[in-house]
Amino acid sequence: MDLSYTDEQLLLRDSIQKFISDKYDISERIRITASDEGFSRENWSAFAELGWLALPFAEEDGGIGGTSVDTMLLMEEFGKGLVVEPFLPSVVMVGTAISEAGTTAQKAEIIGGTIDGSLISTFAYAEEQGRYDLNNVVTNARSDGDFYFLSGAKSLVLNAQSADKILVSARTSGDSTDAEGITLFLVDAPAEGLKLKNYPTIDGLRASEVSFDNVKVGKADIVGPLGGAAPIIEKITQRAILALSAEAIGAMEVLYQDTISYTKQREQFGHPLSDFQVLKHRMTEMFMEHSLAKSLCMKATMLEVQNAEDAKRTIHALKFLIGKAGRFVGENAVQLHGGMGMTEELRVAHYFKRLMVIDSQFGNADHHLSEFIS
Amino acid sequence: MDIEFSAEDLTFQEDVRTFIKENLPAGMEMWTKRGEWFEALRKKGGWDVAKWPVEFGGPGFTPTQRYIFDMEMGRNSTPPQLPFGVGMLAPILMNYGSKEQQDRFLPGIRDGSVNWCQGYSEPGAGSDLANLRTRAELTEDGKHYIVNGQKIWTTLAHIAHWIFCLTRTSSDGPKQEGITFLLIPMDDPGVEVKPIITLGGSHSVNEVYFTDVKVPVENRVGEEGKGWTYAKGLLIHERTGLAGIQNSVFALEKAKANAGTVKVGDGTLMDLPRFKNKIGELEAELMALEFTELRSLASVSAGSDPGPESSIMKLKGTEIQQRISLLNLEAAGIYAAAWGNEPIGPGFAKAATGGYLGGRATTIFGGASEVQKDVIAKNVLDLGS
Ligand SMILES: Cc1cc2nc3c(=O)[nH]c(=O)nc-3n(C[C@H](O)[C@H](O)[C@H](O)COP(=O)(O)OP(=O)(O)OC[C@H]3O[C@@H](n4cnc5c(N)ncnc54)[C@H](O)[C@@H]3O)c2cc1C
Repeated sequence: MDLSYTDEQLLLRDSIQKFISDKYDISERIRITASDEGFSRENWSAFAELGWLALPFAEEDGGIGGTSVDTMLLMEEFGKGLVVEPFLPSVVMVGTAISEAGTTAQKAEIIGGTIDGSLISTFAYAEEQGRYDLNNVVTNARSDGDFYFLSGAKSLVLNAQSADKILVSARTSGDSTDAEGITLFLVDAPAEGLKLKNYPTIDGLRASEVSFDNVKVGKADIVGPLGGAAPIIEKITQRAILALSAEAIGAMEVLYQDTISYTKQREQFGHPLSDFQVLKHRMTEMFMEHSLAKSLCMKATMLEVQNAEDAKRTIHALKFLIGKAGRFVGENAVQLHGGMGMTEELRVAHYFKRLMVIDSQFGNADHHLSEFIS
Repeated sequence: MDIEFSAEDLTFQEDVRTFIKENLPAGMEMWTKRGEWFEALRKKGGWDVAKWPVEFGGPGFTPTQRYIFDMEMGRNSTPPQLPFGVGMLAPILMNYGSKEQQDRFLPGIRDGSVNWCQGYSEPGAGSDLANLRTRAELTEDGKHYIVNGQKIWTTLAHIAHWIFCLTRTSSDGPKQEGITFLLIPMDDPGVEVKPIITLGGSHSVNEVYFTDVKVPVENRVGEEGKGWTYAKGLLIHERTGLAGIQNSVFALEKAKANAGTVKVGDGTLMDLPRFKNKIGELEAELMALEFTELRSLASVSAGSDPGPESSIMKLKGTEIQQRISLLNLEAAGIYAAAWGNEPIGPGFAKAATGGYLGGRATTIFGGASEVQKDVIAKNVLDLGS
């Protein structure tokens, strides 16, 4: 057993930390999120140059050959910086799908384009009636000759407005909740019949409601086996949960540390707030929640690298704990900052909102607890 | 002991229910027809100022009637009044203000033509309110105070015509003793309001700066140096009001209805044990809190103080409000993240997100929870300072 990072990984971490401390303070983030696309293309190119976008891809696909452990390291730092660039949808979600199931041509185009920063992609999977069940898919792919025609609607598609390619889960056979019969398609954006309703999310990111009205795709745009996408989607979900969890760990660390510094410096009743025992205990609890969640994040990530099947249950436990700990740390960071915690001016509010959104994605704490105990 | 309301109270309850049925504007008219609603309440015999005593035009409800009144209004989610005038300043003016001040300010407060805001908190004086530093200096002729300083977190200062303020007139002796209660018009050129944007991008609170604002002594409420005593009495009013028990009863029903529209598998979110448990816990606790309010009312009816039970109302009431808002947030699922101009996903989702975020403030304002617990420990449980 070895729970330490390698020298290479430590170098990577240094470079991310340096980038964030140089380029990513909260006012810069606010400026970026207010821009048209809600993220910075300039940062995205820098990520490509620094090799971060190549991190999880296999060497034979032009990547660096990292594992989920490397992604964890990166996402934890991104969480500390509250980075908004579309790493999760492009690299983690679509990247996982193509790496796992893409054809040689798809790998060359999508992975190649992702690594060099020229192509942005996202995954459209969620449907309103399905809530957190990703096998509940009614978006339909009708086969006609050499083509498929997609019709339906997907929700909360991250960065869809900026995406060159949208990976879509659609039903090619079976009933609306069957695991069998779901197929993944790559859709070029824009495309005829593809409509986007773009909006900001509460944590400053961008998402879209995406509707498909007979959008035409070729057979070459199918990713993985026809009707057999469920295991790929599960893999994407696992990787996304691990990445989001690591991001949440980073965000929680900032929150408890900011709360410590704030209460040390803010005086009421002639004392720094940090003198009051109830607040000391609260901050100790925030630290403990963070620490336990971090342990489970490491465990689940390392298990996933070894054997994804074994990691399943731990990943449910992890997402539950991330939701619970994130809520506790976030809410108390706000509470202990008093009125200041309510303002958009301090970064606390932004980290708190990010944690709130992370819990809502890929199944919230309740959802994963039920999965964990079932 | 008798758990039933008396026959008179039951008649009163019927009366309130009928009144609401006949007068409450439906749906969106709740907002456009607010004025007519308050007018109807006024005509009914001072129901627009339900907590005011008879001599000031209030209905003179008994404590039980007030409880029933609040319950029926809350459960029907009737349009709220802005709290600062009717609920907060008015009782102070009635108890400590001069006859002239009462005649001058109460009518505008009552008919809603004059908006007030509350200028207590300062950057250095939050939980430790007595630490406030906004200075009010009497001019040599004794006719004016010159006010300099800064308030913060002033809710609705940007639409207020007047601000009631705690100011420092003396720095000698205990901090609580040099505080004076002043009424200041917001259109004075020395008053400047700067917005503060809070979680989710809303603007309700502000910073208010005073630069050489000249306030006539007629605008001082009560005696110089007694402002703290006056304000403390008022804070008790504020805190009881902040528990929002009846609104929570309404909000919980609404949360259940919302969750009932969220499909999960073959059923809805309301069928999931974990979610149902949380609803059940809240229902039980709310039931207990409601009866706690009744116990406290009973002591008042019997002629004594609200009783130690009342101190837990704000603490527990706001905690429950937050937990209900969390249920809505959870029910919204992934749509909790959406923050566009148009609603995305279920119709309640955007309000759920806004409500959850905005609701974080309820355990901060009007006495932050941690500090409230200190107060209870000291005053109710006699646990030292
Ligand atoms: C939305 C909103 C609206 C408001 N509206 C108004 C208004 O209209 N007018 C007005 O005057 N004010 C208003 N306030 C201000 C409000 O009353 C203060 O925020 C509140 O008193 C807390 O003060 P603070 O923000 O300075 O926090 P602080 O006093 O700095 O407290 C920060 C944290 O420390 C804790 N703490 C402080 N002292 C102790 C202690 N001794 N022991 C243990 N813990 C402690 C608190 O509980 C809190 O968690 C509003 C605030 C908000 C958020």
